[in-house]
Amino acid sequence: MEIALIGNPNTGKTSLFNNLTGSYEYVGNWSGVTVEKKVGVFKNNIGQLIDLPGVYTLNPLSKDEGVVTSFFLNESVDRLLNILDASQLERNLHLTLQLLEFEKPTLIGLNMMDVANKRGIQIDASKLSNALGVPVVPVVARSGKGCDKLVDVIATKSIKPAKKNLVYYGKEVEEAIIALTGELMGKTNHSARFLAIQYFEGNEYVKNYVNSIADSKKLHAIMGNLESKLLKENNIKSLANFIYIKRKEVIEEIVAEVAKKSDSIIPLSEKIDSIVTNRFLGMPIFLLLMYLMFMLTFDWLGTPLSDALDAFLTGPVTFGFEKVLSAVNASEFIHALIIEGLVAGVGGVLVFVPQIFILFFFISLLEDSGYMARVALVMDRIMESVGLNGKAFIPMMIGFGCNVPGIMAARTIETPRERLLTILLTPLMSCSARLPVYALFVGAFFAGHKAFVVLSLYVLGIVVALILAKIFSTTLLKSETSLFVIELPPYRLPQLQSLWRSTWDKGKGFVRKAGTFIFAGSVFIWILSYAGPNGLKVDMDHSYLAAIGNVIAPIFDPIGFGTWQASASLITGFLAKEAIISTMNIIYFVPNDASLQGLLADYYTPLAAYSFMVFILLYIPCLATVATIYKETGSKKWTAFSMIYAFAIAYVLSLIIYQGGKLFGLV
Amino acid sequence: MFGSLKAGDKGKIIDISHVGHLVQRRLLDLGITEGSEVCVKCVMPFGGPIMIETCGQCVGIRRKEAVQIEVERI
Repeated sequence: MEIALIGNPNTGKTSLFNNLTGSYEYVGNWSGVTVEKKVGVFKNNIGQLIDLPGVYTLNPLSKDEGVVTSFFLNESVDRLLNILDASQLERNLHLTLQLLEFEKPTLIGLNMMDVANKRGIQIDASKLSNALGVPVVPVVARSGKGCDKLVDVIATKSIKPAKKNLVYYGKEVEEAIIALTGELMGKTNHSARFLAIQYFEGNEYVKNYVNSIADSKKLHAIMGNLESKLLKENNIKSLANFIYIKRKEVIEEIVAEVAKKSDSIIPLSEKIDSIVTNRFLGMPIFLLLMYLMFMLTFDWLGTPLSDALDAFLTGPVTFGFEKVLSAVNASEFIHALIIEGLVAGVGGVLVFVPQIFILFFFISLLEDSGYMARVALVMDRIMESVGLNGKAFIPMMIGFGCNVPGIMAARTIETPRERLLTILLTPLMSCSARLPVYALFVGAFFAGHKAFVVLSLYVLGIVVALILAKIFSTTLLKSETSLFVIELPPYRLPQLQSLWRSTWDKGKGFVRKAGTFIFAGSVFIWILSYAGPNGLKVDMDHSYLAAIGNVIAPIFDPIGFGTWQASASLITGFLAKEAIISTMNIIYFVPNDASLQGLLADYYTPLAAYSFMVFILLYIPCLATVATIYKETGSKKWTAFSMIYAFAIAYVLSLIIYQGGKLFGLV
Repeated sequence: MFGSLKAGDKGKIIDISHVGHLVQRRLLDLGITEGSEVCVKCVMPFGGPIMIETCGQCVGIRRKEAVQIEVERI
């Protein structure tokens, strides 16, 4: 049995999903969009629960919301589980009425009764059940209370389709519904009434669907006829608005019957808000929180853990591999491949796992607590001035940690244009993997002004991103309008279980990646450095890596580093930015950073070194990021664009810095 | 006009039709339309968004859209 979970955003859908399902898995993508389809298996194995994105209505605005409508039109489902926020009953019932019109067996989980009670609202679940004609089970999604009852009702009762025609839309509309239903007769398995009403509401997805099965001209005529009749007789704005008002009237009747309101007490949330989103304190509080988050991730907690993991991987793990390899009498080639290629390559990525998970934990914490929406609000003014959206700020902040989760975080942005723009620009945020490269070069060339030089690179990344946002949003991506209406959910104390699940959801991709294409890439790069035109185990200068480096080296001559070594490390830097350091270590035959620093002075001038750092900051995003851009945009064109524009801007800026610097007599 | 309301002021929405179609739709989804009583919770500096409360829920909207909504002070 397939059951679809549907409800408004911020109603506790995810908590309920976690509580109802023991195990779950991602099953590919929804057709056409990049949102992952989450399917879980009920704890007692009665069927599958499909998690749909949160929507306010079945008439979609954004592509993400369109997922739900497409699901209803194109995929089969046995039952609907509609979760309602009891404290926002009126708004939630708009969706419920549309679901009931769909005429599938429906069950309602009434969540957040406690919040409603605090606001002085008492809801009678059995009366609501009678009014709607479907079972209503009160639940507390966060603690799992009532979930057993919910499962019982889903499993045992043979839920009948809801009582028909809960909303009477008036004589004119009802006549038009009958006319349109006649046109659709026998051509679809869906409720014709549902299709008719959604069609009248201007639902594009339904419009395309009915036009594909029936005569679009006739349908259009019915709607045009209805509109002109209504607009003549009634004082209404549009047909869609008329339908909305009719539903609202029914909802008001239902709510008057089932809910009792007493004088409300001001909920805690609004008191905190007066500080967090305060005119003057909002920004400093946000910056302080971000500072704490990044210090914990990259300094206080994350780095010691990463170092410990690094020590473990380079120590016992490498040692263990060596022991096993010599025990099985592995050839020298296999030995070198595993130790110098795989352990170094894959291990180098796995080292970042603790930091990634800590960062994701905090991001989940910010999301679950309801603070993230407030950050978007605080930052919107600045982002709007460059054609972005307040919500775009969050992916960019996350991008300082790692660009991959940053790009994934752009999913929260509704409008496709602003989401795409955010995805394209997030790689310009200087991620943590680039920091070791700066550290090496700054130590070698700018020992006196370390912090200043590194800071200049971070700032450069942000400035370039904001300027490009302005340029792209006024040229390439200007057609669509912007939308910034954000619901600010009440503050909620996050649940440990759901925090862990959402942290794992976000972070597991990173681990999986290390085992797949980072694994393959490491082997590939290592073999290139090991083999040459003259056979295996050649001198590095005669390896294929050097040959490839030499081919592209002339390109980098005008920007100060036209050596095959620099070119080769830039190629490996595409695999992962931190690989630049390890590649240089291999190429320059030095065992550790300290001596590499001394050697670098022979190959770079300070000006060339700065030019190199700027280039590293901006040039083509790493492979993992490019793969994520492709996965998130689903477009080869935009993925290619993200690589090309980054390379171009990096080259141009490095050229200006290097040639400009030379003009001013710098070296 | 929303523009004249300050943090803490209450008002009733009279006309929302001048706001862009998408924003109007989204506000309607959130139950904010003509007749809704709203309270301005806070106003961000430098022409930033404003935060309004209606029926116990808080919603952030941009200033430029807010000023297109006609509100009657209550």
